Amino acid sequence: MTTTIGLGDLFSISPMIALFLASLIPITVKVLRGNVEQPPFATLIQGLGGILAAAILLLTVFVLRGQQLNPTAFANALVLDGVTVSVGLMTLLVSAGALLLMYDNPATRGNQFSELIFLALSSITGMLILVSAVDLLVVFIGLETMSLSLYMMIAISHEQKLSKEAALKYFILGGFASALFLYGVAFIFGTVGSTYLPQVIASTGALISSSRLFLFGITMVILGFCFKVSIAPFHAWTPDVYQGSPTPHTAFMATAVKAVSFAAFLRIIASNALVGSENLFDFMQWLAVITMIVGNVAAILQNNFKRMLAYSSIAHSGYLLVGVITTGVSDDMSFGASSVIFYLVAYSLMTLGAFAIVSLMERDENHSISIDSLAGYARKRPLMALCLTVLMLSMAGVPPTLGFFGKFYLFTSAIGEGLLWLAIWAVLNSVISVYYYLRPIVVMYMKEGEAMDAGGMFATRTAILVSSFFIVFLGLISGPLFEVIERTLS
Amino acid sequence: MLLSAVVFLPMLFALIVALWPNQRTLRPLALGFALIEFALSLGIFYYFDPSSSALQLVERYPWIERFGITYFFGIDGISLWLVILTTFLTPVALLGAWKSIEERVRGFLACVFILEAAMLGTFLAMDAVFFYLFWELSLVPMYFMIGIWGGARRIYATVKFFIFTMVGSVLMLVAIIYMMFLTAEAFGTMSASLLDFYRLDIPFISGQFLSPQTLMFSAFALAFAIKVPVFPLHTWLPDAHVEAPTPGSVILAGVMLKMGTYGFMRWVMPVFPEATVHYAWFFMLIGVIGIIYGALVAMVQPDIKKLVAYSSVSHMGYILIGLFALNEFGVTGGLYQMLNHGISTGALFLLVGMIYERTHSREISRYGGLAGVLPFFTIAFFIVTLSSIAVPMTNGFIGEFLILLGAFQANSVWGYFAVSGVVLGAVYMLWMFKRVFFGPQGELVKDEHHPLHDLSVREMFVLAPMIVLVFWMGLYPSFFLNYSKASLDHFVKNQAHYELAIQSGKEVAQ
Repeated sequence: MTTTIGLGDLFSISPMIALFLASLIPITVKVLRGNVEQPPFATLIQGLGGILAAAILLLTVFVLRGQQLNPTAFANALVLDGVTVSVGLMTLLVSAGALLLMYDNPATRGNQFSELIFLALSSITGMLILVSAVDLLVVFIGLETMSLSLYMMIAISHEQKLSKEAALKYFILGGFASALFLYGVAFIFGTVGSTYLPQVIASTGALISSSRLFLFGITMVILGFCFKVSIAPFHAWTPDVYQGSPTPHTAFMATAVKAVSFAAFLRIIASNALVGSENLFDFMQWLAVITMIVGNVAAILQNNFKRMLAYSSIAHSGYLLVGVITTGVSDDMSFGASSVIFYLVAYSLMTLGAFAIVSLMERDENHSISIDSLAGYARKRPLMALCLTVLMLSMAGVPPTLGFFGKFYLFTSAIGEGLLWLAIWAVLNSVISVYYYLRPIVVMYMKEGEAMDAGGMFATRTAILVSSFFIVFLGLISGPLFEVIERTLS
Repeated sequence: MLLSAVVFLPMLFALIVALWPNQRTLRPLALGFALIEFALSLGIFYYFDPSSSALQLVERYPWIERFGITYFFGIDGISLWLVILTTFLTPVALLGAWKSIEERVRGFLACVFILEAAMLGTFLAMDAVFFYLFWELSLVPMYFMIGIWGGARRIYATVKFFIFTMVGSVLMLVAIIYMMFLTAEAFGTMSASLLDFYRLDIPFISGQFLSPQTLMFSAFALAFAIKVPVFPLHTWLPDAHVEAPTPGSVILAGVMLKMGTYGFMRWVMPVFPEATVHYAWFFMLIGVIGIIYGALVAMVQPDIKKLVAYSSVSHMGYILIGLFALNEFGVTGGLYQMLNHGISTGALFLLVGMIYERTHSREISRYGGLAGVLPFFTIAFFIVTLSSIAVPMTNGFIGEFLILLGAFQANSVWGYFAVSGVVLGAVYMLWMFKRVFFGPQGELVKDEHHPLHDLSVREMFVLAPMIVLVFWMGLYPSFFLNYSKASLDHFVKNQAHYELAIQSGKEVAQ
């Protein structure tokens, strides 16, 4: 097989190239300065510049693609479609937010900031590969580029103990998930004879019922993703890793990483494997229900704010899995997929904002924030407390926030596909979640205390304000936003 | 534009109040705003045509076109008085709470206005998703009002309030979404408009719980039953009331509970006609249980506020019976009783708040002989008590009489049981009145260090309109009922196939 790489291919991946080049700037500068850190602000600007360039290029490529016949690049390994551009842009946005957090947080700022930004941008490059990959092996490359950078980001944190444990745990379990994924890919390749997704999808209908090996392969691939997006019972790493990592990295993992993993998940689930295999379909539904229950019930018991948010993110994975299943069984893929992507937008924004508040309150690198330590925060910082209130209510799905509309579209698509009982499980779970999302609000507003944030940190404050603003504003124009997403997908 | 202005003006007020720099002028400003809002809502009468049963002053714009969700406000005889009740009680509650809220006044006033907007939106929204938005939004300010400015067990009470209400409403959301798909099936395009829900013919299989109509009926009914609250889902109410600050209690009892009964009238009975008829006995039953149970529990309460709270459970049982009697007397009485309950229980909570401000105690046993010390207060309390136990000439009489008439007409068994509530109501209210106002002076009353002062001018201003309304509504009910008559007739006559037309024409002037 011969492969020719033209300029068009390079143009298609220009966002990744831009990110990669931008990632090199901070470490190159550091080397040229004789291993002396440049001012962190300069590093931050270089990182944000890279992200901005990538975003602009991504849009340009997507718009110009309309005139071009072939949206794929590199011999069908990458595709630039609606999923790529919508999830890609959102990922870039929340990554920029996470970078702002890294700039301020005591655990990430300091003498290795250049290396951190390099790793972060490499990780984002991996994410862009992941969202545009249509070949299972390229999916793997994207996944690993993203994850390996992330392991190191966590490990080089200044935090003393937990982050090292978190990095190791994440590394081992991430490696395990990758192994599952690869194992599955091997079976798929063995039965289909190709790792190119459209070809896999084309043969799914025939193979899923006749070939056990193929069913095994696709199940392994799906389970690999379940690990990545922390679906119970494969969620056990999430609370420890989220709690142990420096908060900006947790924000990065919980938003950008999860969003792109779900986007890739959508591409694989689109294979109609769920339609072909009744057992797999049932199995996935139970996973969704268990995930929602485990996440929500465990979150009630938490005292550490970060750990509570970690469990809440597991619960959100459960809601998202409902949408993924809907996409998997529907004929009109774009509706289910756009509801998942819309929910990802909502989820990422509110999670970023919530972790940003945690980051804001951390005074030194070993500081851990319990929910009770928020007492009295509303008196000291009314604006930030209001933002956290908006974020929490949005996570609980109280209208008219973006979180409500995310759930509304998700459940609408599920009910439209006849998954009524799954939707009922989901709404009942969202009632359970109300209890623990109200807790920070109760503590902030209704208990006396001396909670105080570290002061300063304008980058983090910007991230909080922007995400809270989006939560309210996008909630009001959610209809047009949903239609835009749906149009880019179809 | 008028209805949008009525709903969203309080939002603007909330924003202004929250950012207002001067602490001293805050309360007069808020009162002024609330009065402006009241005056504006009176403007509805100018455009409202009482002879028509159609939906009036309609504003309808596409909002989320993908799902047929519209920005849709409209008013008819059913919602008209509830809207006025809301805008009327808000300034009353603000003036009544002049002194009871001492700290974080700014936040409190902002909460009151957001709550007012949400409640008005709930009464006026005619699109299911739009309605749901306001319905849920009303939880948030009330949650803060109880949680921040409430009593000792406020956090428990407010979280309970929030979660109880949320359980019901999320299932309603699922039902709404399901109904939207039914409209898509029936009419080709998806729609969340209530008028399209009315036109739906949802399959009903008698005696089978799993038929679509029964399931959705249950989902909607559960949401509203929790809000009303219906026995045995009422347990959040005494907690919320006792812990809430006075203005919170006034608005909660006066308006928020009516969101539940209004929901039954607007969203349950006409949308699911067969299920309503089929299960009416069940709601009559829990209505009757609510009346008797609420009254019996109220009788043994040592705390005045808790007594009033349980009396609400009893009164709301009447409203439920009236509505599910499904005849003209019952439904008219039910609607009228919603207004009466708003006035009389609102006034009772205000009065309890006033005495609490003086003595910081609500324990009945520590009072006694108040009549000799606070004559004006006693008179006011007595009039409101009479209204609450439905003595002729007061508003409560008209409502309860119509409801009982309706109940006897529907099935006399319910009537017999419901009538016992009239007696029981008199028992707990008068007994409480006797223990607080007559007899030997209690420890709080004869406390020489804290002499009690009678009603101040401000407090008289708060109570005067309520007392005027008690008699006005009691002596001249047709003034109020004339505006609702056309809608209620239409509601009762077309119970099996209810449809709501949109009146066009008159509203163009604005």
